[in-house]
Amino acid sequence: MAEALNAMKKNKILLLVSSIGVFVLLAAAAIDENFLKQWRRIQASGSHDGEPIPVQLRQVVNMGLRTADRCVSCHVSMGPGEDGVTGNALFKKHPPVVHDPAQYGCTVCHGGQGLATEKDDAHGTVHFWPEPMIPAAVAEAGCGTCHAAPGVPSRDTLRQARATFERLDCGACHRVDGRGGTIRPDGGGMEGPDLSRVGITGYDAGWHGKHVAKAAAADKGPWKTSFAPVPEADQGAVAMYLAVRNSAPRLTEAKSVFLSYGCLGCHRLSGVGGDEGPDLTRAGERDPGQTDFTHVPEQQGLDNWIAEHFRSPGAVMTGSKMPAVAAPESDIQQLTMFVLSLRRRELPGAYMPKDRIAVARMGQREFAPDGATIYGAFCAGCHGLNGLGRTSGDETFPAIANPEFQKLVTDRFLTETIARGRPGRRMPGWKKEGGLRPEEIRVVVEHLRALAGVTGRTEEDAWKANGSTAEGRKLYAAACAGCHGDKGQGAKGPSLGTRAFLEVATEGYLRDTITKGRPGTVMPAFGEPSTVHRTLTPGDVESIVTFINLWKGK
Amino acid sequence: MSPSTEQRPPLAEFWDNLRAAPRRILDTAFRGGSPSTDRTRSTFVFGNVFLHLHSARVHRWTLRWTATAGLGIATTAAFLITLVTGVLLMFYYKPYPDVAYQSIKDIHFVVPTGRFMRNIHRWAANVMVVTVILHMARAFYTAAYRKPREFNWVIGMGLLAVTLGLSFTGYLLPWDQLAYWAITIGANIAQSPREVTDALEITEWFDPGGFQRALLLGSEVVGEEALIRFYLLHVMILPLVLVGLMSIHFWRIRKDGGLARPVDADQRLEPEPGVYPVFTQAPEKTYQLAAVVEGRTPAVGRGPENTVPSMPHLFYAELGVLMLTTLICVALSIVSDAPLKELANPSVPENPAKAPWYFLGLQELVAFSAFMGGIGIPTIVLAGLGLIPYLDRESEGTGLWFGGPGGWPLVKRALVVGFGASILVEAFVIRYGWIREWFPSVGQLVVTVLNPGTLLTLIYGAYSVWLVKRYRSTRAGALGLFTCFLCGFLVLTVVGTYFRGPNWDFYWSPSQWPRH
Amino acid sequence: MRLDPEPLPRRDWLGLASLWSAASALAFGFIGAMRLPKAAVVAAPSKALKLTLPESLPAGEAFVPPGRAMAVFRDGEGVYAISTICTHLGCVVKPNAEGFECPCHGSRFDHAGGVVKGPAPRALPWLQVRLANGEVHIDEGKTVPSGTKAKQA
Repeated sequence: MAEALNAMKKNKILLLVSSIGVFVLLAAAAIDENFLKQWRRIQASGSHDGEPIPVQLRQVVNMGLRTADRCVSCHVSMGPGEDGVTGNALFKKHPPVVHDPAQYGCTVCHGGQGLATEKDDAHGTVHFWPEPMIPAAVAEAGCGTCHAAPGVPSRDTLRQARATFERLDCGACHRVDGRGGTIRPDGGGMEGPDLSRVGITGYDAGWHGKHVAKAAAADKGPWKTSFAPVPEADQGAVAMYLAVRNSAPRLTEAKSVFLSYGCLGCHRLSGVGGDEGPDLTRAGERDPGQTDFTHVPEQQGLDNWIAEHFRSPGAVMTGSKMPAVAAPESDIQQLTMFVLSLRRRELPGAYMPKDRIAVARMGQREFAPDGATIYGAFCAGCHGLNGLGRTSGDETFPAIANPEFQKLVTDRFLTETIARGRPGRRMPGWKKEGGLRPEEIRVVVEHLRALAGVTGRTEEDAWKANGSTAEGRKLYAAACAGCHGDKGQGAKGPSLGTRAFLEVATEGYLRDTITKGRPGTVMPAFGEPSTVHRTLTPGDVESIVTFINLWKGK
Repeated sequence: MSPSTEQRPPLAEFWDNLRAAPRRILDTAFRGGSPSTDRTRSTFVFGNVFLHLHSARVHRWTLRWTATAGLGIATTAAFLITLVTGVLLMFYYKPYPDVAYQSIKDIHFVVPTGRFMRNIHRWAANVMVVTVILHMARAFYTAAYRKPREFNWVIGMGLLAVTLGLSFTGYLLPWDQLAYWAITIGANIAQSPREVTDALEITEWFDPGGFQRALLLGSEVVGEEALIRFYLLHVMILPLVLVGLMSIHFWRIRKDGGLARPVDADQRLEPEPGVYPVFTQAPEKTYQLAAVVEGRTPAVGRGPENTVPSMPHLFYAELGVLMLTTLICVALSIVSDAPLKELANPSVPENPAKAPWYFLGLQELVAFSAFMGGIGIPTIVLAGLGLIPYLDRESEGTGLWFGGPGGWPLVKRALVVGFGASILVEAFVIRYGWIREWFPSVGQLVVTVLNPGTLLTLIYGAYSVWLVKRYRSTRAGALGLFTCFLCGFLVLTVVGTYFRGPNWDFYWSPSQWPRH
Repeated sequence: MRLDPEPLPRRDWLGLASLWSAASALAFGFIGAMRLPKAAVVAAPSKALKLTLPESLPAGEAFVPPGRAMAVFRDGEGVYAISTICTHLGCVVKPNAEGFECPCHGSRFDHAGGVVKGPAPRALPWLQVRLANGEVHIDEGKTVPSGTKAKQA
């Protein structure tokens, strides 16, 4: 049986070699799994009260949020009941925050892949995980997963409010966002309560009266030395400042910048805003795996993508009609942080914070109710933060805060124009679902008046044009039709032939605008001698106004 | 009882039996003692449920590595590996959308040995698909399907289909993007008979496509209903069918007289010095009397048989292949993790959404016509394969590689034709498009009937008919056709795997894919 | 005529080595596989909880936090929590006038959790309680000696 035995010998060798191979590979896999895992080595370096900690997978489970975060397998001391573990830089304690990480878990705020137990996977920088960790520098963006932070003022308003708060030296006794506050000489804690979260927890609205009473009753100590009655105007600023103390000061700051660039003129946030651009309510949840990084210099990181998108929207996102945001780099970073924070996850009822409910269901605004903030949030994108208009590409957005214009128009004209928009122009009507409330439009008008520094007309100009229609038609065709269209349909200039416009524009307003022009726009003053356009006499103007008013009946 | 035992203490016998129990358990477990002689080896095989699948003696021809390359055993081994690892994975897998994905993440990250087991499961499944196809090719090229093994070949077709079905159903279970969109496409292929019924405007009355899809998904979309159905198919129905078919497949090998070998196998083998007759003379009785089966029984009264005892000869061979397959699966598992993409998102399609590699040839065909590519051509191919043993009634070359008229030179030419035709058709379609691109208004039925897939099938068919005429042999035609289809499968699979990118456009390499 | 003509070589080292290596590889794989069913992490929420006791809770009256197997008491000496998981076979015991009773196998416990009757082998464990800012912090994972009551610092 030589050949048969020989064949069997070959089979035995095959069996021997394969078996040894399987054994070796299994042993390698076993060693890798049981000894070489990253988290094992990290935990092996840890000790608690001098005792080595048990090396095992650890996790924070939150049944309500349906998360199981294994981050604490490496960041051990952040786990439940594990504080005091030392021996590795990773065992740093979590800075004190409102939400206990041992209860809420990690990923709900920080993003990343909680189920993972290896660094790259856990930090979400791997290819197939849609939610990488929020960069530590903008960690507060994570608050946006659940919170909406309503009532934030625009940047200048916020700055003024903070300046007021600092000028009044409230920080002498009160601690805010880790700054200020004096320790009592007897070691009994702060002189005043910490105000870092009063925007959420609320505070005694009658604080000022009580402060005054206590200061009056005191004969020494800080009540005597550090408090003086606060003027009424400053009390409003302090209230505005305290309303947004939500222990996320940097996110609030970023949101105030967002509310100063007029983004809501085109985008909706929590259902409020314009309709030209996409809804931003969950814009921070973009999946990097589904995002084109070709035109982003750093080529990675959602923050880089968003920042570059602000710098040149069309290049980063093909077909984007958004104009580039002309802003200093620091503002771009703030805007980026805010957009990153727009995560707004669906939450189980018990975890839905009050502010989210207020914003999503009870109509509370994300922005502060003052005119400057609403103007900054809705109008500044086109009309400029100072109201002096803007040119973008071949589009010109009119200046509306120049005194010449403001002096001409009545409050009704402004209110109606904001509410109904300008048909045929980019200006949308803000009296719409997801638009502005009458009260909000009113404060915007007030803000415009304040910007211009004029009170404007309160009474409507009763002047009635009574010129020649035929003459007016001729003059209109010669002087006006080039910009406003031969039928008043508008071209380079706005349309004049719409009822919406003519119902609010009085004849006196038309006369004055034609005669004096619109500074900040291409509309010239036809009443003044010029070499580039025809000069119109008051009679000519009256004829034109008469002619234009014919369209009212249409 | 003898008086002496009566005088022993009453419990003595009990104690003796208790002491002897371990040895007796061993003795009874392996009846007949150590397999060191022919008789005890035969007893070992008879008495062992696993080895009982084999006859006690096996022909030397089938033990040569070149005879079968151990592909059948390798397939079985891969199946056993998937079975063991699959059962283990069931400890943690939860068949419910989203939760399923999380449970796979858990298996990957925290379950002890979980990642390794899943990798092995996935690789063994791939190995099984490869070996089952190679096993089929071996059986075909050695003409092993011929009488009396025709029906075993048909069962083999069934095993191929069930193997692919197991792979396909397992593909959905992770509930990631890859799974979701591959299954969406698969379910719509099941619905693709509508392509024809719609064109004939009879869908309203006769809708086999819609029925198949509804049966598969249990709902309108790929959702929890579909997942639980796929799970049931994957862990219960298909494995049971597979085990049933495998049992018949193995049992028939015995009943068909072992593996196919040339009639002159004994002459072809080197004479063995010291070969002795198994039976020096024909026994009086035949097996036929004992077992009521038709046909010849292999070892009766035919003198020297060139057989050797299955134990240990076949035992070592099979165990060797089993361990080799395990080695391959384990090694692949260490090198590469099973994929897991993002959580399934019904609103963002994967682009490109690719099926498992062994279906990418079909997906390439499906890109021409869903019905023809997904159902028509596969049905034609499977039916053709199943019919081969009934059309080829010749006997030349049984048991020999590329046996039959034409032989290896014919296969070489068929390789040229098979590769050439498929590459040319692919190149033409990629360069110039197809009817739809030229005449956008053309009816769907025209595209269904006349598309690159059917064209390729026609070319191969015509070539094979020509071979039948030229060699006056069905076997020659079958050799050509099978080779051509193998080439076509390979070319389409490679194109689908490596050269198709987003929107199923052609790219020379994935590095040229546009970024989303 | 020989019917048993080809005995194996007496010492088949190669065969034995290959068989043993195959057996050990498979056994090794089997041991590895058997580690799989034992879960490395348990999907359970933190055992610690915070609650506020109703002002009107009478001394010695049980307060059962919803969804938790424990009874919290307040009396003149402080606040304490007793696990209501029967030490016999894990049924949840019910507080009653005499202490606790188990519905499954009839174990009875007194007010302090001590076994009075039935198959329960040990007294009901007392859980760690801390008081802070008017809230009661209880850790189900940590037991304290019976009789340990937490007082407001």
